[in-house]
Amino acid sequence: MSIEEMAERTAIVADGGGQPLLEVEDLRVRFESRGRRVNAVNGLSYRLYEGRMLAIIGESGSGKSVSSRALMGLLPGSARISGSARFQGRQLLGLPDREMRRHRGADIAMVFQDPARSLNPTMRIGAQITEAVRAHGDVDKRAAYERAMELLQLVRLPAPERRFHEYPHQLSGGMRQRVMIAIALAADPKLLIADEATTALDVTTQAQIMELLLELQERLGMAIILISHDLGLAATYAHDVIVMYAGRAVEYAPASTLFAAVRMPYTEALLGAIPRLERPPHSPLPVTPGQPPDLTALPAGCPFEPRCPRAQDDCRTEAPPFTEHEPGHWWACYHPCEGSSS
Amino acid sequence: MTVTDPALGDARETAAPGVATRILRSPSLRLIVRRLLAAIPIIIGVSLLTFIVLSLIPGNAAQLLLGPEATPEQVEAMTRQMGLDQPPVQRYLDWLGGALTGDLGTSLVSQQPVTSELGVRLGVTGELVGLAFLMSLGFAIPVALLAAYRPNRLFDRVSMLVSITGLAVANYVIALLLVLVFAVQFTFFPAIGYVPLSQGLGENLRSMLLPAVSIAFPLFCFYTRFLRGDLVDQLQGEDYITTARAKGIGPWQVLLRHAFRNSSFGLLTVVGLNLGTLIGATVIIEQIFALPGIGQLMLQAINTRDFVVVQACVVVFAVVAVLANLVTDLLYAVLDPRIRYGNR
Repeated sequence: MSIEEMAERTAIVADGGGQPLLEVEDLRVRFESRGRRVNAVNGLSYRLYEGRMLAIIGESGSGKSVSSRALMGLLPGSARISGSARFQGRQLLGLPDREMRRHRGADIAMVFQDPARSLNPTMRIGAQITEAVRAHGDVDKRAAYERAMELLQLVRLPAPERRFHEYPHQLSGGMRQRVMIAIALAADPKLLIADEATTALDVTTQAQIMELLLELQERLGMAIILISHDLGLAATYAHDVIVMYAGRAVEYAPASTLFAAVRMPYTEALLGAIPRLERPPHSPLPVTPGQPPDLTALPAGCPFEPRCPRAQDDCRTEAPPFTEHEPGHWWACYHPCEGSSS
Repeated sequence: MTVTDPALGDARETAAPGVATRILRSPSLRLIVRRLLAAIPIIIGVSLLTFIVLSLIPGNAAQLLLGPEATPEQVEAMTRQMGLDQPPVQRYLDWLGGALTGDLGTSLVSQQPVTSELGVRLGVTGELVGLAFLMSLGFAIPVALLAAYRPNRLFDRVSMLVSITGLAVANYVIALLLVLVFAVQFTFFPAIGYVPLSQGLGENLRSMLLPAVSIAFPLFCFYTRFLRGDLVDQLQGEDYITTARAKGIGPWQVLLRHAFRNSSFGLLTVVGLNLGTLIGATVIIEQIFALPGIGQLMLQAINTRDFVVVQACVVVFAVVAVLANLVTDLLYAVLDPRIRYGNR
């Protein structure tokens, strides 16, 4: 995507003010089983406006996936969820399953990481799409077929008439992910959550799928939450970026602001760990030493403190609050970076 | 996604061969033929083993037929008359030669042709096995689905308790308990005996119900436990279930269209493995309920050392087992689109 295009996208979004499509406030998720308590999400808040793409970035176990599944009521029964998540003003958390079902697919849809495992291996592609079409609204077989064809063309799956009758194992990874997107779009959702949707794909296919998502967002005007561990992906495609660590947001800003002046040492460490062509060949990749904290016993201070090159004594006593230090730019750090671009 | 499209290569398949050629070339048919050919050495091996074991147990048919008072001369004459004085290898080869041409020989004891005797009894055992099979699966599937619908709730816990109990108790114990309660205490059903189908379906079923339940109950418990566990695993661990739920479809649809379809392979494997148990159980249960089936015939023949009849029964059991396993394997291909037999 060119810089002009990016600027244009940002401009469109600036107008999109007013009521947020999704408003998450102090979302907390913990899992309890046999006395063990895992604090997966610890107070996550953000707003998402129509037509925007929000990237939630973090490593495994940072709570990015769990937080979005909590919105759709897709977590197992052992999950304890608190806080608030309003979709178009309506509270999603705590809804009984019967009511939650009306939102799933129709308002919020999801595309998952591994398309090989996310499609039912025993069902034909067509049946899996028409099932999603017919889940919302009274659609007869013929109309569901027409709609499925329309969706398959929308996601640009080659030879849709034949693919309709095939099984997932007969498709390539990229084609399967296109089918997953078609399923997600079946009931015209206003929000699409792409949970590591391109991670399992090779780089070329990954770019194709991301371009497809962008194009679909423009055509259908939906909002997208892009969940990924890949900051580069966020820099290229997202309007806004949340960086999560140990179940909480540590930095949040529009992508252009964030990548112009990274403040959170953790974000900087992530950026530094991306391999770059400019670097001399065979030079070691800078990695952050240590491990993310144990989610069953979070420290009193900043969770990143043990690994942080900028840590000082005050980091250990109390976790830094997550506040808006500059207009639109939030972070949780007592000793932020100077804000030089990487 | 214009890069790779493996299916474009399918264009060369457009020249449609004739129906006959297609059937002959069908990988399923080749599987069937191959497996039936492989069954021949299996069945010969089974009959040979049976023959050896029968030759090793003391006593012979002549001795047992004449009783303990017979003189050695009488026994010897009888032995010669029955052909039992021939060397064992000779006797086995004679039997095998007959069996290959469809003649399973004449009973040493009753002097009746074995084939006609088997025909009648096959019907009884077949009905028993069929009923037990249908009952075990027919109850296990809905119970497992209901249990998996809300795991760890009351229905789930009660059904799991019942199935653990059922697994811990042998089928002949269940048979005796059933007789005690339903035939002796309350005389709903006959304790023993067989009423052929020609005397009415109701009466026939009344005589078959207790034996069939005795065989079906432990299997029902096993299938229920297995299927319930597999369904819960699918529901909790599989990504396609999350996809299905994310579509906004109801929990029963998720369970039936998605989880059950995928759990059916595992169930099929377990059912296939238990076919031997199912058939083997008839030997004891027919004895308890005095049903004139193959199992009962075989037991009597063993007691009278009537090796011709034993051999015939064993061969019948072996053929049934081979066919049942073949059907199981073919069903995999029907249920799971990823499995297609042949070397494509």
